[in-house]
Amino acid sequence: MKIEAKEIVKTYQDKSVLTLKGTHHHLVFEPGKIYGIIGPNGSGKTTLLKIMAGLIPMSSGNMLYNNQSLTHQTMTEMTYSSHSPTLFSRSIYENIAYPLRIRKVDKQMIDDTVNGLLAEFELNKIQTQNAKHLSGGESQKTALARALSFSPKVLFLDEPTANIDPKSIRIIESALKKRNHHDNLTVIIITHNLSQAFRLCSHLIFMDQGQCLFSGTPEEIMATSDPIINDFISYNRF
Amino acid sequence: MDYILNGFVEAFRLIFSFDPEIIQIVLLSLYVSFSSTLYATLIGVPVGILLGINTFKGKRIVSRLLYTFMSFPPVIIGLFTALFLARSGPFGQFQLMYTPQAMIIAQTILVTPVITGIIFNQAGTSGHEVVQTGKTLGAQKWNILILLILELKSVIMIALVTGFGRAISEVGAVMIVGGNIRGFTRVMTTFIAMNNNMGQYSVSIAMGLILLTISFITNSILYHFVMGDQNENRG
Repeated sequence: MKIEAKEIVKTYQDKSVLTLKGTHHHLVFEPGKIYGIIGPNGSGKTTLLKIMAGLIPMSSGNMLYNNQSLTHQTMTEMTYSSHSPTLFSRSIYENIAYPLRIRKVDKQMIDDTVNGLLAEFELNKIQTQNAKHLSGGESQKTALARALSFSPKVLFLDEPTANIDPKSIRIIESALKKRNHHDNLTVIIITHNLSQAFRLCSHLIFMDQGQCLFSGTPEEIMATSDPIINDFISYNRF
Repeated sequence: MDYILNGFVEAFRLIFSFDPEIIQIVLLSLYVSFSSTLYATLIGVPVGILLGINTFKGKRIVSRLLYTFMSFPPVIIGLFTALFLARSGPFGQFQLMYTPQAMIIAQTILVTPVITGIIFNQAGTSGHEVVQTGKTLGAQKWNILILLILELKSVIMIALVTGFGRAISEVGAVMIVGGNIRGFTRVMTTFIAMNNNMGQYSVSIAMGLILLTISFITNSILYHFVMGDQNENRG
């Protein structure tokens, strides 16, 4: 699914928190790629991601999904997961099965899909545990497994590996790469981890104070002369 | 002190004598309070969820009004209900005054804000996240409502028992609209109040003990559901 964000503006109580204008007023996300959104805290990354995911309305601008406005059908083909995911008060297995159950998928198919994801995310030993009482890494893996269970076309991730152990990070990154490679999944990920952004993404977007200052490849961002971007990169050197 | 002790002795004698009048009063109390709690739940749970998860102009005023109604004195509710149900009132033609139905109406008005307020409060905090997550997973409105009810089930249970507790223990509203008519609208609380006024402490204590037992049973059921759920969560 091709996603376009045109001149998006978001204001909260008369204060502008996101303004896509100037050179990068029109962001295009091509299908089957992994995009990274980077930038300091409060730069509007989450606001942009939530607008694209259809979770919050924009104040002005235009969002297009395959050249069309957002519909319920489009919503069912995308999903969003944050660094503090809301898991339901039921087992890990049932959390992952939820998107399939509401789509009335055949029971055997649900079982096969969920068991596959449990194995991939190394959650099979704790699959009966209630998801409300998991560690950070287990929660993230469960949330991502749930998000991937219905094979969405677009996955929006807001710092999915913040504060979790290296092994869980490796499992999550590997799952994202696999889905992107085999299923042509588009991933738009916010990360503060530059090395992760370079490992995963083919395209990076840099945001600061509600504006997009850069959009290009990882190699291009390293070659930029913008002092704000250079300052950010120097503090986040890997 | 003796009369208190004798009161307890007499109370136990009364309880275990299975007096038909006492049984009828207990059953009527349970019928009225369960019915009103059921109606209040049917109104309060969806209204509380809708008010809690949605953002709209005047939400603060609505929440203040709701919290005010949660602590509304039962006698005032009884008085207003009586004004509406009285023969010369707007609903006088239905002849509901001094009937168990009038008591159910009054208690429903009393309990609905309690249930709505508790659900509203919880739905406003965790309900919004559940709705957003449901949306991101492709849930339709109907799926989201079921999801919310399941996710808030512990709170709904607490609201239900709190509402039932308020209904079964109140005396002012049922006294006004029911009239404490023997064999027809007499419930446990009006029975206790009447016997206390007449100096018959033993029967008041007996009925008080029954009320306490019912309260203990309902709280035990709540504990079973809520703590059971929490233990399951710890899994």
